[in-house]
Amino acid sequence: MKPFLFLNLPNTEFNSSQVDCNHSMAHSSYPYGDPIFAYGPQAISHPQMIPPMLGLASTRVALPLDLAEDGPIYVNAKQYHGILRRRQSRAKLEAQNKLIKNRKPYLHESRHRHALNRVRGSGGRFLSTKQLAQSNAEFVTGAHSGSDPTNRYQKEHLSEVESHSSKDGDNSSFITTCSDRPCLSGNNVNFRQQECMFLGNSANMGGSPQFSGGLTFGGAKQRTSVVR
Amino acid sequence: MSDAPASPCGGGGGGSHESGEHSPRSNFREQDRFLPIANISRIMKKALPPNGKIAKDAKETVQECVSEFISFVTSEASDKCQREKRKTINGDDLLWAMTTLGFEEYIDPLKVYLAAYREGDSKGSAKGGDASAKRDVYQSPNGQVAHQGSFSQGVNYTNS
Repeated sequence: MKPFLFLNLPNTEFNSSQVDCNHSMAHSSYPYGDPIFAYGPQAISHPQMIPPMLGLASTRVALPLDLAEDGPIYVNAKQYHGILRRRQSRAKLEAQNKLIKNRKPYLHESRHRHALNRVRGSGGRFLSTKQLAQSNAEFVTGAHSGSDPTNRYQKEHLSEVESHSSKDGDNSSFITTCSDRPCLSGNNVNFRQQECMFLGNSANMGGSPQFSGGLTFGGAKQRTSVVR
Repeated sequence: MSDAPASPCGGGGGGSHESGEHSPRSNFREQDRFLPIANISRIMKKALPPNGKIAKDAKETVQECVSEFISFVTSEASDKCQREKRKTINGDDLLWAMTTLGFEEYIDPLKVYLAAYREGDSKGSAKGGDASAKRDVYQSPNGQVAHQGSFSQGVNYTNS
């Protein structure tokens, strides 16, 4: 309580009248305990979202920061109390181990397996049913003529099989299967993430996969080697 | 600096240990705390040229930023509702919160969206967004935010 009061005194001098009203109301209505300012990467990343607002701020307030690497960070005075409140909320969640620190590559096991079984074209993108038929026709003609694209396709298929086997080994340890979201939206999320994971920097248009050029193909190769 | 924490998270994906670690905390999943990353990618692509691409860590960083911004504005509106002994956060409370936090320039466009949303209150996508809210305590604010988000996307689609 006392450290919070100590921090409030210099703020009162710099705040405008409007902020003074909000400040006094907030202080009288919701007396906080000792504020917790020991944060990890969240605290570091959060103040950096504020600098774009510095140009519009008439007054700036020094934000307390335990990690005194670059000195105090100044934020919009109107957002000062909101930032402190959010810091306390995140500290509470972190104490309860509720913050998401490491992301899973996928959310649902069954959808992940389905995506692994789908046929992929050059560049690693999924083939739709129409493109699948065209690919089969090209494969037949390619086998007859023995052209280079067919050879590339076979090599890529082998590399995909290897990557699948390694991922299957990882998947065996994860058994949870849950689907609470609506089927369509969850489906989109899962497939997009899968494509992002395999394509690296590829940007997919909504619902219409396309064949990519040689540059993306090279990128996909690098991505595959990294995964290995 | 914000990119540095995001890169290890992206690089560390796919480990069996992480899968094991995440199992005990199945109550707090990624989809409960962040917006769907596919929708965020779609919005980000609207600002790019046709051949532009977005890195995965950039998408994840923006995903965390927009989710934190929603919590930031919602907590300000929640404080106001608690002071006034009200349980439901409505659109006007969010507009007031953004004014209080220094985002006055956004109030006029948001009022247009809010008025248009209230006129078309029987939208199917809005109801779908409402259904996706899971927690009882935060159901109203999340539903309200989801409504505005979904309607905003609809307006963008109509304009383009």
